[in-house]
Amino acid sequence: MRRALVLGFLLAATPAAAEQLVSGISQDLIQITSNYTGSDIVVFGAIEGEANADNRGPRDVVVVVRGPDADITVRRRDQVAGVWINHDAAKLSGMPSYYYLASTRPLKSIAPPDALTHYTIGLQNLQPDAVHSHHDYEPFRQAALRHLLQDRLYTETPGGVEFLSDTLFRAHVPVPAGVTRGQYNVEVYLFRGGMVESAQSTPLFIDQTGLERRLYNFAHNQPFSYGLAAVVMAVIMGWISSLLFRRPT
Amino acid sequence: MEIYLPIAEISVQWAVILGMGLAVGFLSGLFGVGGGFLLTPLLVFYGIPSGVAVATTLSHITASSISGAVAQWKKRAIDFKMAGVMMAGGLVGTATGVWLFAVMRRAGQMDLVVTLTYVPMLGIIGGIMLNESIKTLRARQSGNAPTRIHPVNHVWIHGLPLKARFRQSRLYISIIPPLVIGFLVGALSAIMGIGGGFIIVPAMIYLLRMPTNVVIGTSLVQIIGVAIVTTLLQATSNYSVDIVLAAILVVGGVIGAQFGVRAGAKLRGEQIRLLLALLVLAVALRLLWGLVVRPADFYSIAGS
Repeated sequence: MRRALVLGFLLAATPAAAEQLVSGISQDLIQITSNYTGSDIVVFGAIEGEANADNRGPRDVVVVVRGPDADITVRRRDQVAGVWINHDAAKLSGMPSYYYLASTRPLKSIAPPDALTHYTIGLQNLQPDAVHSHHDYEPFRQAALRHLLQDRLYTETPGGVEFLSDTLFRAHVPVPAGVTRGQYNVEVYLFRGGMVESAQSTPLFIDQTGLERRLYNFAHNQPFSYGLAAVVMAVIMGWISSLLFRRPT
Repeated sequence: MEIYLPIAEISVQWAVILGMGLAVGFLSGLFGVGGGFLLTPLLVFYGIPSGVAVATTLSHITASSISGAVAQWKKRAIDFKMAGVMMAGGLVGTATGVWLFAVMRRAGQMDLVVTLTYVPMLGIIGGIMLNESIKTLRARQSGNAPTRIHPVNHVWIHGLPLKARFRQSRLYISIIPPLVIGFLVGALSAIMGIGGGFIIVPAMIYLLRMPTNVVIGTSLVQIIGVAIVTTLLQATSNYSVDIVLAAILVVGGVIGAQFGVRAGAKLRGEQIRLLLALLVLAVALRLLWGLVVRPADFYSIAGS
């Protein structure tokens, strides 16, 4: 929520700046079909106008893609009576289900840590909206980041944004097969001398389509008929197979 | 070739899933067990969400059990009355299991409770079967006629009321033990996505003293009934049955089961029991291993 306010403020405030960011995405709708194995979208853009006379620091672009928020439950195993069991847990609410960040240079060279924290840019600045835990949740948050990085649902790629000319830039964003469906936000930030000069946000939709969508709807809208269909399929296939393979003994 | 599963919401290699279905189907045809206790962990290991794995495995169990049951029925090796009594207990057990499932999942202790019930149960059943089948094999090798197994707890089981005649099994016993066994297995089936054959088969042989030739067919019929009801319960309460995943598993399962039945016909009863005992013990050890070995990562995550 706080993040949305910061971004909203940036979007409202930046038109006053002399340098403007114009960006787009190659696809604003990704449809998941039966042969979907992940895809790539391209985020591209240009910087228009002249830099302010008083801010001539290095210029950087950061691209952030955030998936729909999710509740992530992290459990820790402890040894109790010689057996490893799930002991403590923390529920982190409002963490993005997918997070991709690409930048022209490593984040720490682009802006000071407190500025990144302020704009909530970077994996280490991802904070849950709410936490249910009896303990300090930080180790649990770190464990969640580690697991999501491993699963390629969270990614940070310094150098992932390339400048094609002085003003033209481009970044490839991988969308793996295991992503949550829903509304994603593609945010592009223009940094100049450690400050955000301009920012833009574009929605990206990921949804199932075709037969997959119809099966999903069938399972949720008529669960009993769907379950019955699964049972009938299993019964018929079992029966057919015993007819095909006559006299098995 | 990858295929996207609409309910699990992930892409999988369909050949891998088909292979799992084939392998587990073969074992189910061979032993007369549904194979859920192997398939569910395999699917979870492959990355299918555990809720979907538990619910969808039941379709595979239904199909391969029917395929096996038809073969047994042609041999007239099914005691429908016994299967019916066990199924009655099984349906009550399933309902209880679905409720328990929800309670344990909220507490985050699913794995622990499952493992703590599984390890001693599999260990005891596997141990008894291993011991008995080795004894029988040795007796046969040394030229002696195989000794009959002596009944376990024969006396108190025969003292129970509500006796009924099970003609096909040539038994006159109380219906309480089959009801209780059915109930327990039904509960486990809802919690773990298993048919429960690896518990029912030894229970029928060693507790109820049913003749080995009707045990496999009868357990398959009981498993089919419980698996169908549990599929419907899971589909309506958790929306977790993935029909695409089920179809691939079922194709592999029914083909594998036919080969399993053929292979089973070439083996003697005690050889089948020896192999099943080893398999059951291996699963028990694997589960125990997970509990006592220091985990590589102390943290695990679950999305919503």
